[in-house]
Amino acid sequence: MNFYPSHPGHPPSGGGFSPNTTLVKDLAALYNICVENRPPQIDLNEVVVKYRPVVSFKVKKSLGAQTPDWEDVVNEVIMQVIEKVKKGEFRGDSSIGTYIYTITSRRIVDHIRQKTKVLRSVPEPAPLPDPCENAENRERARILAEAVQRLKPRFKEVLNLYYYQELTRDEVAERLGISPRRVSERLNYAQRLLRKIIKP
Amino acid sequence: MKNCEYADQIDEYLLNKLKGEPREKFEEHYFNCPSCFRKMEERDALISTIKSRGAWIFKEPASGQREWVPAWKRALSSFTPRQWATVGVAAAALLVVVFGVLPQLRDSSPQFVLSETEVARGQALTLMSPIIDVRSVPTFFEWKPLSQEAEYKISLYNGGLLWSAVTKDSRIVIPEETRQLMQPGQRFAWQVKAFSSSGTLIAVSSKVQFQVEPAE
Repeated sequence: MNFYPSHPGHPPSGGGFSPNTTLVKDLAALYNICVENRPPQIDLNEVVVKYRPVVSFKVKKSLGAQTPDWEDVVNEVIMQVIEKVKKGEFRGDSSIGTYIYTITSRRIVDHIRQKTKVLRSVPEPAPLPDPCENAENRERARILAEAVQRLKPRFKEVLNLYYYQELTRDEVAERLGISPRRVSERLNYAQRLLRKIIKP
Repeated sequence: MKNCEYADQIDEYLLNKLKGEPREKFEEHYFNCPSCFRKMEERDALISTIKSRGAWIFKEPASGQREWVPAWKRALSSFTPRQWATVGVAAAALLVVVFGVLPQLRDSSPQFVLSETEVARGQALTLMSPIIDVRSVPTFFEWKPLSQEAEYKISLYNGGLLWSAVTKDSRIVIPEETRQLMQPGQRFAWQVKAFSSSGTLIAVSSKVQFQVEPAE
């Protein structure tokens, strides 16, 4: 098969150019391998927007929301994710969510180890809470607390026993003389009511 | 919308009851499940609020938001349908006893249980005031006198015995120092026993409860 058409400036090749078909086949095979193993295309902006709240939640839960460093840890995790994805280190062997979870968990462990070393040598400075975040959270909590208080007694009592006193579902059921299923129904219904009150 | 199989673990995770591998699996899951993560954020806000303000939410009424509700109304509003059914059956049984059985026992004198080992038989002693919840601390106690001459011993309880006195009248003024011990919002009970001139117990009233309404 002649891949290259004859050109006026070029003397016609007598028998036509016959490329090495084995070489072509090898090149095609290599191309397929590269396409299959090519790192998945990731929209980094979308990843940051989608996963920052999830990473923040995990970090705050692990370190405590009052720890002033939690935001720094979240930023470090996000930067690490961006760097690794740009370098092509994310191969798509797992989902992007699992990949970010793994990075987050490792960073949290490293942070705790570092803090333990630091605390042994120097005293920890007093934390400076962000006044805006605290005020916003306080307002949100106030609205929610008032909404809970306005609930009918049968919904308040399940929230009290299950979340405040941390009884099990069966214990709540026994205390109130209802079935565990009814306890679940009341909890779910209470949460739906609160959602309606807070976001009408 | 089908519920995610991990959704049931949200409460356990947030209340720190999920440990070890199940905890790690759940954490990995919410990195991959936007629905569970949204539910978890919402639930976390609720639990955090309840944990931090539970004492206010569940034990104290908000000032200016709720009126004082009598104890009987509070109790009735928390009744479940099963409890209402039980009340209905009990009320029906009571009616049968009152109108069907009791008239046949007219000649028997009332029996009052004074303690685990002591029971008194005697006349009925009817308390008149206070017998329901009152707006302010009462100034006197009053009961229906017996047909015969008797000495009455009145006892006031607030958990334990708060005050006790003896009189031959069917009404007694509460001393000021005792009234000062009776705070609004508290619950009290009082009872009267009647003794003959020889000191024999001849009648005992029921122990009647009342509550002084909280100050506004």
